[in-house]
Amino acid sequence: MRYRLVVRRYKQGWREAEYRAYEVDVDPDTSVLDALEKVSLEQDPTLTFEHACHHGVCGACGMVINGVERLACVTRIGEVARGGVVVVEPLRGFRVVSDLAVDKSRMFSQYALVEPGTLERVDGVVELEKLFDCVECGVCYSACPIANTFPEYLGPSVIALAYRSSKDGKVPAVLDSRRGVWACHAAFECSVRCPVGFKPGETIMKVRRGFLSGKLGVR
Amino acid sequence: MTKKVVVIGGGVTGAALAYDLALRGLRVTLLERGSIGSGTSGRTHGLLHSGCRYVADVEVARECYSENVVLRRIAPFLFEKNGGIFVAVDESDLEYKDFFLKKCEEAGIPVKEVSREEALKLEPNLNPDLKAAVLVPDGTFDPLKVILSFLASAKQRGADIRPYNEVVGFRVEGGEVKAVKVRDKVSLREYELEADFFVNATGAWAKKVARLAGLDVPVKPSPGVMVALDGRVGFRVFNRLNKPGDGDIIVHHRGTSVIGTTSWVVEDPDKVEAPREHVELLLRRGRELAPVTSKLRVKAVYVSSRPLVGSLPAGTGREVSRSFAIIDHSREGAGNMASVIGGKFTTARLMAEKTGDFVAERLGVSTPSRTAETPLAPYWAYFT
Repeated sequence: MRYRLVVRRYKQGWREAEYRAYEVDVDPDTSVLDALEKVSLEQDPTLTFEHACHHGVCGACGMVINGVERLACVTRIGEVARGGVVVVEPLRGFRVVSDLAVDKSRMFSQYALVEPGTLERVDGVVELEKLFDCVECGVCYSACPIANTFPEYLGPSVIALAYRSSKDGKVPAVLDSRRGVWACHAAFECSVRCPVGFKPGETIMKVRRGFLSGKLGVR
Repeated sequence: MTKKVVVIGGGVTGAALAYDLALRGLRVTLLERGSIGSGTSGRTHGLLHSGCRYVADVEVARECYSENVVLRRIAPFLFEKNGGIFVAVDESDLEYKDFFLKKCEEAGIPVKEVSREEALKLEPNLNPDLKAAVLVPDGTFDPLKVILSFLASAKQRGADIRPYNEVVGFRVEGGEVKAVKVRDKVSLREYELEADFFVNATGAWAKKVARLAGLDVPVKPSPGVMVALDGRVGFRVFNRLNKPGDGDIIVHHRGTSVIGTTSWVVEDPDKVEAPREHVELLLRRGRELAPVTSKLRVKAVYVSSRPLVGSLPAGTGREVSRSFAIIDHSREGAGNMASVIGGKFTTARLMAEKTGDFVAERLGVSTPSRTAETPLAPYWAYFT
């Protein structure tokens, strides 16, 4: 099948972004990421985008695909194309580095709040540990109306991760502030768009209830 | 004056090497044509090898296990330490068991045989007809985050990390590489970068990159297909108790199960697609290990090209380990350049240490490698 990929391009020093169309011949079940990689290898080596695992666990390839935030690696082109056209844009709410690659430091710079619990303990027959389900893609920031308009907002995934790694019923004090759970307008776009069902919106509500009932403290 | 080194390749080998060299006090610039981990490394199945998969070669197995221990020590937050389990499903697997246990002991890998009942209690989704089971110290990881941890640590020691900067040529004069020519895709300009030493750590792409300098690297890109399922069927890594073969492993991390892998050899790692029959084979073999996998949705099919070491022409390479090689380009007219190929993700730190020794010796730097004892910075520090 022939598809038309319309990609938002932006390079350092450009006054504004531009859209460029590429024709690509792939199966409908090819991922949007593989289609983009094919373009970068065969047509335009200057096209830049972030990608690593190609199977939905590393979170590198979050993009806005035909208006919706998705991981490009687990999005089949045939399922999202409209009339054979797929428009690909960088995530919103982050600074664009180059084309589809964005600077996620806004999210990762808050990770001191998440420490040291990057591993989740799982109850089982014996003690098990797993990496958090959150793949740290930034999709929830892009989908969130607050993260898009309030740069100081901690953001959905960071709040949820900080809560999940809380100890002795205590979370970092900043969660109980305008930058934390009280900024949320309960749009739940973060949970709707989350590619792995991490549901940050529900966690934010849980933290609010915890603060109001006094069951959750701050440290 | 501080010596400058350019490392080409932003996979795990390049990242670990940039860190190793920066820790020795060298001035490092790392160049990567795409985003960090966008080549082979990012696309592994995410298995932290216990070495058990390679017990037929005790040296390789021992090397894997000792690196497994080092990585868990220097960066515990990167690894799911739930271990792995080798299971015998048929008679041929069962025949392999005694050999397997004997070799694990020889390699010093702590393993423990468990009964069928216990295995099924620990991992209820394993094939209920299993005939034997052995617990091993495998682990799993998110490849990108491991690479970013090495790079964050390198940056904290002053390394300059440049993704989207592709090497498009070399300036070679008087038997030395003077500079690399780089296309910066962020600002769309080209520039030259001079250094005292250059390391080609581009893995499966090493031949393509070396050719830009008129040099040769005996690397054989060997792709393998992996099938990612939407859902996690176990906590431990599931391995078939037999010689390494197609579709004999299921690696779990986060909420995903990855069935791997196949293997063939290509010329150009930029022209690789997953053959449909490989996908079918993997799904069929995966069902033999864990029947429940047939109920899960296929989330992604992907291919990653291993940088296998081809036959080394006499005198051009120095096999520093059974599993990887450093190619010294002196005899081909580039006295200050080397390529590093082979290895596994799990042994990247060791490869970097040995390559770092090689570079340090050439540059007259006596500082030893300290990567085995120094804790790694967390991956998120890369962004801050």
